[in-house]
Parts: sequence; C-alpha cells; structure tokens
Amino acid sequence: MKTGKEIKPGTVLRIDNDPWLVQKAEFTKSGRNSAIMKTKLKNLLTGYKTETVYGADDKLDDVILDRKEATLSFINGDTYTFMDTTDYTMYELNAEDIEAVLPYIEEGMTDICEAVFFEERLVSVELPTTISRKVVYTENSARGDTSGKVMKPAKLSNGTEVQVADFIEIDEMIDIDTRDGSFKGRSKK
Amino acid sequence: MKASWDIFCTVVDNYGDIGVTWRLARQLVAEHGLAVRLWVDDLNAFVPLCPAADANAEQQWHEGVDVRHWPAAWSATSPAEVVVGAFACQLPPAYIEAMSAQATPPLWLNLEYLSAEDWVEGCHGLPSPQPNGLRKVFFFPGFTARTGGLLREASVLASRDSLQSAPKQRAEFLAGLGVQVAPGSRLLSLFAYENRQLGSWLQALAAGTQATHLLVPQGRILADLAAWLEVATLAPGALHQRGALTVQVVPFVSQGDYDKLLWACDFNAVRGEDSFVRAQWAAVPMLWHIYVQDENAHWEKLEAFLALYRQGLSDPASVALTALWRAWNIDGDMGQAWQALQPHWDELQTHAREWAVAQAAQPDLATALVHFCRNSL
Repeated sequence: MKTGKEIKPGTVLRIDNDPWLVQKAEFTKSGRNSAIMKTKLKNLLTGYKTETVYGADDKLDDVILDRKEATLSFINGDTYTFMDTTDYTMYELNAEDIEAVLPYIEEGMTDICEAVFFEERLVSVELPTTISRKVVYTENSARGDTSGKVMKPAKLSNGTEVQVADFIEIDEMIDIDTRDGSFKGRSKK
Repeated sequence: MKASWDIFCTVVDNYGDIGVTWRLARQLVAEHGLAVRLWVDDLNAFVPLCPAADANAEQQWHEGVDVRHWPAAWSATSPAEVVVGAFACQLPPAYIEAMSAQATPPLWLNLEYLSAEDWVEGCHGLPSPQPNGLRKVFFFPGFTARTGGLLREASVLASRDSLQSAPKQRAEFLAGLGVQVAPGSRLLSLFAYENRQLGSWLQALAAGTQATHLLVPQGRILADLAAWLEVATLAPGALHQRGALTVQVVPFVSQGDYDKLLWACDFNAVRGEDSFVRAQWAAVPMLWHIYVQDENAHWEKLEAFLALYRQGLSDPASVALTALWRAWNIDGDMGQAWQALQPHWDELQTHAREWAVAQAAQPDLATALVHFCRNSL
C-alpha cells in the first residue's frame, strides 16, 4: 500500500486488477496544506495511457516489483538500452517509459541505475537520487554571488537546462537531485 | 425522482469549508432540483452561517437541504448517486465500502480548493481511479474556462445591482446592522485573519483627508483591532472614532446578509476562499488575505491570482494594487501601500466591475458540477 504522495515514476499501481506504471508524477500543494499528485499512467497489459490525480493521503495498491542494477549502454533515437550489471543482459526502453528521468540521461553516463521489472519485463529505470553532470554552458556570474542563493540557468550536455548557483562556471561538475531537478552543489568527485 | 447528492464537509478551521459547501448545497437544491444531504462534522461552525440551525441536531432541513451531523461513529447509510468530498476530506470508510457495493456505484467527486495557478487547468476533471474500482474525479473551481468556475447563484448579480443602485435600500440594510454612514464617508469592510499590518493601515485611514467608516464583522482580526484602538474588548455595536476613521464592529451575519454587506461597501477586505469569491461578485475594489500555508506556498497562489486579476489595469494601478496585496499578506507597509493606491481608486472600481462581468460570463461551479455528472452518469 502506498499513499498518493509516495507515488513516483517507476511505481506500478494495481487498479481494477490491472498493473499501471507511473511514468510521471508531479506533486503540487493545493490548498490549506493539502496536496495532490498528478500522474501519467500506462497500463502494462494494454499499453493504454491516461492522466490521473490523487490526493496526497489517498491509499493505493502498489505492485511489488523486482529491481536490478543496470547501466545505460547506448541510445538509439527514442530507444534506450540498459545493461544488467551482473549478467550483462541488455534491456530496451522507449523514451516515454522513462520520461521523468529523461532530462538526466545522457550518452556515456556511468550512474548505477535501478532497472524495475514487472513479471520479468523491464518497465522503467530509476536514477540515483543524486547524480553528477557537467555544465556545458552558463552565463558568467552576474553579481559575483558566492552564497549559493542567487541562481541562474545552465545547460547540460544533453541540452537539459537546470538552475544552478551563480558561482558555477562552464565545464564544472554539479550535483543534481533527480527527484525534482534541483541543484545540490558543486560535485566533490 | 430527484437525483441524490451527498456532500461531505470536514470543518478544519474557520468558515471556509462549511461556507462553500453550504452555498453549493443550497444552489444544487434551489436551481438544479437535486436532493442534497450535507454531512458536516462540526455543526457549531454551521450555526453562524445559518442562524436557524441547531448545532446538536442529527438531522435538520434548511432551505431544502437535508443537513446531517457527520458523526465520528458512522452509521450505515445508503450512498447517494453523486458523492462530493469537499476539500480533500476523507469519507467514512464504511460509506466508501457501501459505495463500492452498489450495483451502479456513485460518481465520487473531490471538490478541491480554489486556486488561480496554471496547474489547476491541467488537473481539473481528471480521474482518480480507486483500487476498489470506484470512479473518483478531481474537480477544481477556478477563474478560467478550463476550470470548474466559481460558486454563483443565478440571482446574485441582479440582487447586487438592485441594492447598489438603490441608496434607500442600502441605507435600510445598513441600519439593520446598526450602521449609519455619514454623507461623503467611504464605507469599507474588514474580514481577515490576524494581521500585523492592520495598525499601519488604520493609521493611514485615520490620518487621511477622506472620511472612512470601517465595518468589522466579528472574527479573528478583532484582537488586533482592539490593540490598535487601545481598548480591552470589542463587541458588536462597538463604535470608535480615530481621526478621519470610524471603526464599527458588526455581528457575524448569515451568508445572505454578508453578501449585502459586501455590496453596500466601497471596498472589501476579505479572507480565505468563500468571502474572497463573494467580494468578487460585489464588483468593488477588494483586498484578499490569503490562508497561510506551510513553506509559504500561499505566496505563489496570491501571485497567480494577481497575475489574472491585474490584466487590463494600467501599469501604475497594477503596481499599486499588487503592492497593497503583498503588503497585507507578506508583511509590508500597509499605510504606504494604501496611500499609493488612492490615485487609482476610480480605475480600480471600474476594473472590479469588469472582472465580475468577465467571471460571470463563465458557467458557475454548481452548474458545471451538475453538467459534468449528467455527462458522466
């Protein structure tokens, strides 16, 4: 059992006995300190897709899924191939199935991901909570701010734009929180 | 046979939850011919809005609505054809079980909070399929065509126009509250949560050249008001003069009379959700005290509404209005912001009326709900 606020991409919900993969989940505060989760669901049996809304405290049946470590092997158009790190099995996913993490996927990335399986079929991939990425473009520091409170846009090598602290420069490695795309700081590694 | 609706209302705090659901229930009965049960967990909050109500009654009828006490220990009840859970309230588990046991399970609507934020359009009307197979849908009130609209009774605008165009009728209504407004005096109403900026606003009103009569219904702002007036207590009828400002406390009135109070005033400070919407139908300039949320989530909601409401205002008027609303909600200098608003008074009056006309061109919330259900059942 999961509550609405615990839903995240890769979760599989059981609704009317059908398994539904959460492809996207957006948390929003509605009013009076309550909140909702807007989701994009895909029926794993029929492929039918729909958008839904759940209250943060709604109780939902989730399906226990198998998980394995995997790394990105290569990208071919909209197809993303991941490799099981223990037995080297290759699995393919299309872009829609990993929509939520797509902004952080790029060729050559070495992050150890979690491949999510439903009845031995790969349905999604989850990234580590924190990933390190290179900034390929950002404007020079406008105000010389070193506090980290002033933010500016920066582009990653796959074209994704994120907000970073004003002191970050081109070619620097930054840490990003994959749950919300927020900047966490300069990479230490 | 009339279609049956159950509306569930949990009173969290204040009068917003019960205010909205009571209005909705009455309108569904009066204008759509529905059989409506309104389940309220705290009838003490209902009585001030409906003075004829009994806070201890398990069941009572008011204006055609079957008002029920929602007890902590739920008794088996046959579900209605349409079930509305207001503001994300959790329905009794036994009632949900009874819903799923129906041959034709009810349509379950979650009536959400009012917000002008962009995301509302993308969530309005979306399903929320439940593990037990029940059809639940999220329904969002709002200000744009892609939302559920605002609560607006069929007669409200005509009644407003009638009172606003008849000085005698207005004076008689105010006299019923014990209010006599001096000629040339500007009449304001104030319904707000506690607010540290009240003092600087009242100071500006007292020091101004324009005579102002401020009506303050009983409520949470009275302690701040008493502190500024330097009086120990304030009760309905209390009347105090400070410079150009006359302050008068009036009783907490029924919803119908509160509407008239808003129509009778030249400017209304309102709060939360229900009075905020009613002030818009009053079609005079207003100030909104938004409900404070964790992590200041309410700031975005305030800005989202301002972004809509400001459209059509000149830049100087827009800046002045924004500054006033931010000062009231984000602890700025209300006195200064109020002074800066004065040159734009006429424009804001015209704008308030145009805003009300534009909002009234959209389907009202009750009608939108009824149409949605007819199409879904």
